[in-house]
Amino acid sequence: MDWKSGRLPLAGLRVVDWSLYWAGPYLGMMLHDLGAEVIKVEAPAHCDPMRTVIDVNRYSGDTGKPLTPKERVNISQHFNEWNRGKLGIGVELADPRGRQVFLDLAAESHIVIENHRPGAKDKLGIAYSDVAAIKPDIIYASLSGYGQTLPERNAMALGSPVELPSGLFLRNGYLNDETPAKTGFSYGDPVGALAALSAVLLAVRHWRKSGEGLYLDIAMRDALSFGIGAAFADWSMNGAKRPRSGNRHPVFAPQGVYRTRGDDQWVAISVRNDRDWRALADAISASEWQGLDAGARRTRHDEIDGVIEAWTSKREARAIEKELQAVGVPAGAVLDFAQLKDDPQLAARGAFAAIEHPVFGNEVRATSQWERGESPQPIDRPAPCFGEHNRDALTGMLGMSQEAVDELEQAGVIADEIRVAAD
Amino acid sequence: MDVLSDLRVVEISRTSAAAFAGRLCADAGAEVLLVEPPEGHALRHEGPFRGDVADPETSAAHLHVNAGKRSVTIDLESEAVAATALVSGADVFLTDLSRDILDPVGLGWEALHERVPSLLMTRITPFGDTGPYANYAGSNLVSLALGGQLKITGDPGRPPLTNFGAQTEYQAALSAFAGTVANLLLRDASSEGEYLDLSIQDVVATNLEQRGTSFNLGIVANRAGLTVSATYGVYPCRDGWVYLTAFAPALWDRLKAVVQLDRLDDERFATQASRLENNDELQAVLTEWTLNKSSDELREFALQGYPLTVAKDEESLLASEQWKSRGYVSDIDHPAVGEVSVLGSPWLAGDPVAVKPAPTLGDANALLEGLG
Repeated sequence: MDWKSGRLPLAGLRVVDWSLYWAGPYLGMMLHDLGAEVIKVEAPAHCDPMRTVIDVNRYSGDTGKPLTPKERVNISQHFNEWNRGKLGIGVELADPRGRQVFLDLAAESHIVIENHRPGAKDKLGIAYSDVAAIKPDIIYASLSGYGQTLPERNAMALGSPVELPSGLFLRNGYLNDETPAKTGFSYGDPVGALAALSAVLLAVRHWRKSGEGLYLDIAMRDALSFGIGAAFADWSMNGAKRPRSGNRHPVFAPQGVYRTRGDDQWVAISVRNDRDWRALADAISASEWQGLDAGARRTRHDEIDGVIEAWTSKREARAIEKELQAVGVPAGAVLDFAQLKDDPQLAARGAFAAIEHPVFGNEVRATSQWERGESPQPIDRPAPCFGEHNRDALTGMLGMSQEAVDELEQAGVIADEIRVAAD
Repeated sequence: MDVLSDLRVVEISRTSAAAFAGRLCADAGAEVLLVEPPEGHALRHEGPFRGDVADPETSAAHLHVNAGKRSVTIDLESEAVAATALVSGADVFLTDLSRDILDPVGLGWEALHERVPSLLMTRITPFGDTGPYANYAGSNLVSLALGGQLKITGDPGRPPLTNFGAQTEYQAALSAFAGTVANLLLRDASSEGEYLDLSIQDVVATNLEQRGTSFNLGIVANRAGLTVSATYGVYPCRDGWVYLTAFAPALWDRLKAVVQLDRLDDERFATQASRLENNDELQAVLTEWTLNKSSDELREFALQGYPLTVAKDEESLLASEQWKSRGYVSDIDHPAVGEVSVLGSPWLAGDPVAVKPAPTLGDANALLEGLG
């Protein structure tokens, strides 16, 4: 693909994006990166909660300027991150007239995506069967915690908690620890979104060849479990409970995260083979250890870690990275997000770019992950403010008259303000 | 979804990155030829092995990630002609090898594109083709470190912690598969080949939750351990672990409805802001409750839609009604292993397809006859 020459694979396709939190919004954003026009649909009484949530994560942190309630729902850093590039409408789906707007939009689109709790779309009458009745070749993707099937369909699972019932949580943890560990974020979301993206793209190919639509039922839990599928194959063959492996690798030894100079600064090092080991032992002046083979390095891993850390703890992480990479040993500073923003490689790839948001101001966002390198794809527009494109979408895409839109607006069926207050 | 059944994919891989992407291609119906060195693919040597006895045919990593592929053995140093011939006859070339290996034997993009203009090529590497780290050596751990996901995982006061499995390679494989299918959509229309240069670091740094908060508000996330906050985190229960999710008003009301403790009506817990202010007291109250409950009791609450999520292990998942109803597990009779359970690609659960076994080493070597 090549954005410069306009060759994006989903150009000409429209997506209705009824999504919330992270997984669904990220899926819609990626479809936009691949060329689709994406319309984020939210209801005034049930907007994407990421607009209003205040958690320790403080997605909507203090911008240092007084904000009206209307402005406040448009500055969430989480919302604006994963909805950039989309158009946005605010329409009350629980109202029959609002439901009709949704269905009319879907009829003018090719793909519907949603990640509400299973059951929500049926209750509102905007499920696959409702859309397929008027648009038989629609591709409709539902992304949920466990899938649309019983018995677990109604159980709650956002992208962070869903690690627990995936198998991943119980395997994560420090070396030989009794206590499991969570990844430091909502890992089920991006993995689920990428899995759903794959399904949607396959469905688009199927549609282009056959003219048929498809319903897709993707579960974040399944996507997490697939990533550690070897553990399931292992269990079925051996029925053995394995100790937690911490930062160690089944083959590479030594491998670890070592303390370096500075507060909470670390370097990650992997020794893939004997060649890497000789180079590392030479760099850290541990020549008496140089002859150890992989088996011996695994047996004496603790001692070796001590020798490595004695060396790393006197040096800067970035300096260690450079010194070891110069002799071909995989090593990398453990970057925090501030360091990540300045990482020279990500900068050279064009991983991040600035965009002007009408309320927040200048924002730095990730670019399309498939078009980085020499000519990264620019970010074309910020995330929509709530209800920002109501009028454009209803008149432009649905051909409604200005008067008809006025009427919906006066009736509160469409709105550019939310009707729930953050507590 | 046999959407790729018209395609032949040749995969030359050394890590899970391209190998996972090849697995996804096989599940979508493509014929996937895995080119292995004579001693077998790296995942054959990773384990765990059946009975914990090293055997390149019974490595669990291989049985999962290489399922549905066929195997040809080629020594790239002495038999590169065969590899190049195979790739030239394919629709998709999937690899994670370095250019030092590919270019000299004619498997670099420029040479391949000239020879076979319709070929799609996807190369997944730790840092991509361009930029100052293009020649850096990589590993899953190093990609986690330089992609920003390592620093935030683990307990405060302890070292950053790797996630179990080859998670960066898995994320990159999902992204690479999607990108490859996207390029295929273009090729369907144009008959022209496309090249995808996919950097694992790029994907890992993209898949970060609080990046915007950090980049634009200067709030830098760090390790938070099991429990981010009292209303969003892991709690111990009598025999396991449960996640409570109550950071929004409606969720908090639902949690109170199931916990049923008067102490939660305390005005210190009346709003999310005050719950965060009195985080430790709230966490203590909730911990007292969770410790009195078993995983089974909590799971019943979860099935009723209360905002809690209970941990499961491989054993209970493989036996779960949910995966049975989704057809998500294939119990395969593997020629070298016997019975082994293999999960389907994540989109197959709604539309189950029986997964085919991973190949025995060189099971498709007949295809190499006459290729030099």
